[in-house]
Amino acid sequence: MADQSPVIVVVAPLFAALLAGLIGMREKRACLPLTLLGLVVSLSAAIVLFRRVLAEGEVRYFLGGWDKPLGIGIELRIDTVNGLVLIVIAIVSLISAIFSFRPHGQRDTEKNMHFYILFLLLCAGLFGITATADAFNLYVLVEVSSLTSYALVAMGSLRRGTVAAFNYIIMGTIGASFYLLGVGYLYMQTGALNMEGIRVVVNQPDVLASKAVLVAFVFILTGVWIKTAFFPLHGWLPNAYAYAPTTSSTLLAPLMTKVFVYVMIRIMLSVFGLVWVFEHLSWSHIVVWLSVIAILAGSIIALTQTELKKMLGFLIIAEVGYMVGGAWLADEGLWGFKGAIYHIVSDAFMTSCLFIAAGIFYRRHDCHDIASLDGAFKRMPLTMTGLLVGGLAMIGVPPTCGFFSKWYLIRGGIDSGHWGYVVALIISSLVNAVLFFRIFEIAFFGKKPVEHADHGDSHGHGEEHAPAPAEPTGQAPMPTALVALMLSAGFILLIGIFNGQIMEWISLTVDPLNPFTKTPPL
Amino acid sequence: MGMRILGFIAVFVTGALLTYGVADFPKWGDPHSPANAGEVSTYFIQNTKADTHVPNIVTAVLADYRGYDTMFETVVIFIAGVAIMAILRVLATIPPGHQPVQYDPRKKIAYDPIISVTCRLIVPVIQLFALYVVAHGHHSPGGGFQGGVILGASFILIAITSNLRSALRRFSEKRFIFIACAGALIYSGFGLTTLLFGRNFLDYGVLSKIMFDTDEVMARSHSMLGVEIGVMLTVTAIMFAIYANLSSRGALRGGL
Repeated sequence: MADQSPVIVVVAPLFAALLAGLIGMREKRACLPLTLLGLVVSLSAAIVLFRRVLAEGEVRYFLGGWDKPLGIGIELRIDTVNGLVLIVIAIVSLISAIFSFRPHGQRDTEKNMHFYILFLLLCAGLFGITATADAFNLYVLVEVSSLTSYALVAMGSLRRGTVAAFNYIIMGTIGASFYLLGVGYLYMQTGALNMEGIRVVVNQPDVLASKAVLVAFVFILTGVWIKTAFFPLHGWLPNAYAYAPTTSSTLLAPLMTKVFVYVMIRIMLSVFGLVWVFEHLSWSHIVVWLSVIAILAGSIIALTQTELKKMLGFLIIAEVGYMVGGAWLADEGLWGFKGAIYHIVSDAFMTSCLFIAAGIFYRRHDCHDIASLDGAFKRMPLTMTGLLVGGLAMIGVPPTCGFFSKWYLIRGGIDSGHWGYVVALIISSLVNAVLFFRIFEIAFFGKKPVEHADHGDSHGHGEEHAPAPAEPTGQAPMPTALVALMLSAGFILLIGIFNGQIMEWISLTVDPLNPFTKTPPL
Repeated sequence: MGMRILGFIAVFVTGALLTYGVADFPKWGDPHSPANAGEVSTYFIQNTKADTHVPNIVTAVLADYRGYDTMFETVVIFIAGVAIMAILRVLATIPPGHQPVQYDPRKKIAYDPIISVTCRLIVPVIQLFALYVVAHGHHSPGGGFQGGVILGASFILIAITSNLRSALRRFSEKRFIFIACAGALIYSGFGLTTLLFGRNFLDYGVLSKIMFDTDEVMARSHSMLGVEIGVMLTVTAIMFAIYANLSSRGALRGGL
């Protein structure tokens, strides 16, 4: 079955979702095991696939067997970059599935079936986006993942979540239609939908000057930027992630923006080609300055937030700025580009870890305020340790992965002479340090144990019995939630320690395509 | 006011960009434009019949060459239904402020006999036509999506002209969720079967081994009908599920 691994990664969650729909009507408890099963199958297929890519290079898979001429069918093409992203998606969604476990009878369990169907289909969509080598197929899977994520945001009990989901739908739909418009324009000029087919035509000398291709690029890029929440287009993100149900946000926050950054990188790499993007277009300066604004704006707005999850949302916006800017640095060794890919991996785990920690706090306190973490270290040492690891990674303290991604990105910034970008990265790290040390201070040393947690609720008393009786979820964290947190914290450290290996894998794909070196360095 | 100006600027820039790009397009209907004369479209026009035995090229591209896209389009429809149920469906309590219209079937006051008799006559015809549209997708415009919408509309018509309860008696919640899943599962099941025979996902040709008296080309044609039926089931069930949930605010009871 190793030959079929590219498609198994994508369809395993799809089958699990459909089976969950068939069985879940009668037996709700079957949904979570099915979810875990589907994701484990995906993860193992992704690992088999990645080993295959390492052994024999790029893996190409033609659906329906339609391989010649190129482009009549749909192709999945896996190289080390998206092989890596596939594994990351599988691990993060598995962690999120472990986190989702709740004892029977708790809030929202009636809709378990719907939740897990959407959860699995979102994963299938993200896997598909990552694996595909077809520009239109990418759009279809963007639809799959977007629709599921709107529903996952909206289905919580918070009314603000529903409003946030509505904003998200409007923005997300505009983003997706911009992408589709761009693909339509490209098809008019090239007659191809396969990424390689498009790249070949776009780089022909007589098409280079085409205005339609340029417009297509602008629309595709803007559409993808809306989906990644790149700064001026970020409006949907903070509320959507902050007011979504806890499990939804542990899945969406680490994966959605990161996968769309990957989409941008894939478009630069495979649809237009780095030669076209960096040498023909040469917009790097503009985009890098836009990303500087994004980094600074995200960090500064994060400083003003009082709610933990909203603060994390704005930090994600800053992180998106890192990645978009890094990918466009256009330094000679492409360190920025490779750093951006590495940061996709590391940021996925950082965000996963922080949102899981925030989710555990929320379930305990039913309150998002940072102030409610007062003295939390004594009450929930493990959760705080997870938050500590995540926070240190966001600040960029070695040996966490956050340090190494900043290292590569800054190296790219220096090599290309974009000092503004370097300064913005450092300022943002300082802001992160301020933010997280404020949290650590509150949590470790605590102020006086005043009754913060129970906002005027007459039943709640003191910190020991913080959960209000009206709130059945305000209980000690589930052991499974802690396992999920420890797993993602562990991966933060692992990815940091093995950064050299991961960068080597990324270089295998990126270096041969480097437009600035005639002979690829190995 | 500020937002309005901003919105106008955004719309203006988008429109201007799109128009700017159009200036460069190949001429309208140009047979030598890349989209018309490209390798891919030429291949479809020349080889579809030989590859698949399907005279309708659009159906062949949709259900075979790019069948993977269509499978996920079916999943998109499925998601739309599940999403609406996930958000709206109220299981334990009736939403505040909602008073279900109680309809007593013995007192047929609010229901016009002309409408109900007409619809009783028209519903079977609609359903028959839906099946025709699905079955003839190979030869004429049509297919699973269109047929499914028509079939779903016939159930909605029952719900509108009599009431939701009698429609739900024929097509209960358990049943429509089951059919929606089963439809998508039929489509992806074709893919899984080809995998089990050791070919690539959705490579229908290999199914000639389990289909009676067919060669590889005919197997493709038959499989396309099979996946179209899967699409039809999902679309029908989801159409009705969306209507039932929206019209009763997720309570799945009451009159309309």
